[in-house]
Amino acid sequence: MSLEKSRRSFLRDTAFALGGIAVGAGLGYIAAGGGQAPTTQTFTKTVTQTTTQAAAEKKVVAGFVYVGPVSDYGWTHAHDAGRAYAKSVCPWLETKIVESVEEAKVQGAIETLIGQGCNIIFTTSFGFMEGTAEAAQKHPDLYFAHCSGYKSGAAGNAPQNLSAYFAEFYQLYYLNGLAAGAVTETGVLGYVGAIPIPEVIRHINAFVLGAREAAKARGKNIKVYVQWLNAWFDPEGANKAATSLVENNNADVLAFTEDTPTVLQVAESYQKKGKKVWSFSHYSDMSKEGPNAHLTGQIVNWGPIYVDFVTQVYAKSWKSVDIWARVGDYMPYKWANLSNPKVEYEGAVYLAPLNPVIPENVRALIALRWQQMKEMLFEPFTGPIKDMDGNVRLKDGERATHDILWNMDWHVEGVETPLPK
Amino acid sequence: MEAIKVDPLTILTTMFILMVQEGSILLVATLGEIFTERSGILNLGVEGLICFGALSSFIVYYLTGNWIIATLAAASAGLMLSLIHAFVSITLKANQTVSGLAITILGLGLSSFIGRPIALSRIRIDPLESVRVPLLSEIPVIGPSFFNQNPLVYFSYIMVIVLWFILYKTRFGLNLRSVGENPSMADSLGINVFLTRYVATSVGGALCGISGALLILGYYPSWYDGITAGRGWIAVALVIFSSWNPLYAFFGAYFFGLVGTLNATFQSIGFRAIPTDFFRTLPYLLTILVLIIFSSTRFRRRKMPASLGKPYTREL
Repeated sequence: MSLEKSRRSFLRDTAFALGGIAVGAGLGYIAAGGGQAPTTQTFTKTVTQTTTQAAAEKKVVAGFVYVGPVSDYGWTHAHDAGRAYAKSVCPWLETKIVESVEEAKVQGAIETLIGQGCNIIFTTSFGFMEGTAEAAQKHPDLYFAHCSGYKSGAAGNAPQNLSAYFAEFYQLYYLNGLAAGAVTETGVLGYVGAIPIPEVIRHINAFVLGAREAAKARGKNIKVYVQWLNAWFDPEGANKAATSLVENNNADVLAFTEDTPTVLQVAESYQKKGKKVWSFSHYSDMSKEGPNAHLTGQIVNWGPIYVDFVTQVYAKSWKSVDIWARVGDYMPYKWANLSNPKVEYEGAVYLAPLNPVIPENVRALIALRWQQMKEMLFEPFTGPIKDMDGNVRLKDGERATHDILWNMDWHVEGVETPLPK
Repeated sequence: MEAIKVDPLTILTTMFILMVQEGSILLVATLGEIFTERSGILNLGVEGLICFGALSSFIVYYLTGNWIIATLAAASAGLMLSLIHAFVSITLKANQTVSGLAITILGLGLSSFIGRPIALSRIRIDPLESVRVPLLSEIPVIGPSFFNQNPLVYFSYIMVIVLWFILYKTRFGLNLRSVGENPSMADSLGINVFLTRYVATSVGGALCGISGALLILGYYPSWYDGITAGRGWIAVALVIFSSWNPLYAFFGAYFFGLVGTLNATFQSIGFRAIPTDFFRTLPYLLTILVLIIFSSTRFRRRKMPASLGKPYTREL
């Protein structure tokens, strides 16, 4: 091949490669920009109106660093719904987002957002914690809030311009458990878990406690099998885990922690074949994904938390906090439902619609427990609680402390699958 | 902790059901890529083609409710995208690896862009229902797994035979293979090298699109980013694993499908000696292993289409 020819072919290859990259990147950019459209909602602006009077800042620009795309099915989608909600109720708020940020690249994303004029930055992945703390150190005049970590000015291990926040589901998993224990026929429940960390273990345990309570009232014993995926996003693994739990272990209620509606869809396809298998919503209302199989589920509304933070910046009343929003937190106001303004819910975490298949008395019990947890009159982790090996973990009447809940590395009685080492 | 008691036959049946689900998705894409590569064109865009096909079939199935039209839409989506690859690598004679990678980026980016409002609106479809094959579905283990699946899975079985027949028993197949082995010789015998390669690349792309339809209409009936999860790359490796032969692809795809079920199966029976993480890496580990074993020169000379990845220029 002549030199002339090879150079020409080299140029052609390079041109095509550059073209391909340009098209791909361009589409990616448009896709990222397309997520800015705010959803329209009706809302009584009691919160914002009271704070407007003390207004000092003219405008607040909030930047959001997301670990996944806004179009994912769980985590990031829920955060972006919260962002859109905050924007819709705070007329002085402007928001900017960066999606699908790798954990190592969080600082670059933060600097980009600061360059775009943001005065408060939200980072929404555990892996963003160190980077966010360093950025907070570097920019003392700006505000930062990190989701799902333990570093904040309030906790004393980070600068005062950093807050931490998280919405906690274990109480809702307990309520899910009540529903599961009331409908199971086989007495076997399955759990598809993402990664064996205290948060997920706590959720499994709370689910089992609820299921045992409801099943005991029916004179039934409960067995719970767990399948671990070792990933937050793994529809293929979730499908296999859910199917195996039903086929191999005879489970007829499937709870899960995974970022897609796959487990619920598996349950729904069994329902279509005439086999009663039930599952739940996770993070957002998935009842449409399983019209027959959907029992209830845990839903988060980050909206009130984001409104709280941006209002602090707007009113110049910032105080570093370490928020662990549970049932009953963020309740002073009635918050309009994001997708259906007719339905009102309370707080940052709430329960998905209850399937009518759940008996009347258990629905009443779920409502009662919800009210009790709201007022701190009931705690699912109250002794006597034994672990799966029979050791007493909580003595009679003893309530689990924050530390016990945060560091949970044992399963309660009723779980048949030992924790991975 | 003692092991969890489960009936061995139940375990095996579950494994096979899941193996056929995952294996069939891989199989259709592998068949498509085999057909393309046999003509000498390397198309690394499989991942992008599957993704774009999945989205197209989802949209069309949502709008029409007809799975056949949806599957045809997926096939034409894969075909159109692979025509870009064909044009660049056959007509413009550009580097096929680079072009294929660009197709992957393009397919994933395009799907993400077009699919965004769909993902945000959370529309859903009902997955295809299984059709039981009379008599055959009564066989233990094999029956419920291979013969109680949705129609697209049965299509994948048929395609194995059809492609094998086309490649080895028809004149067109002979032409296609000779174009992949020695295009200038084929050309001198009066075979239209460019047309043959265009046809092979388009048919291969269409099959990859159908693989996407099987994925989303069959087992994961909602749209979100990352739904293909690297299956396209495994299909590319499976082509080598199956020595560019549709019949071997059948076994290769189900073998990989079976390996993918080990994690859930071992957890079902409480076997914990091997950690979960190992099983997550196993398909990729196998892929690398396959590439190492099958890239020995002796094997390549015998099995790989001799002019794979080489653009053909007609000498005047």
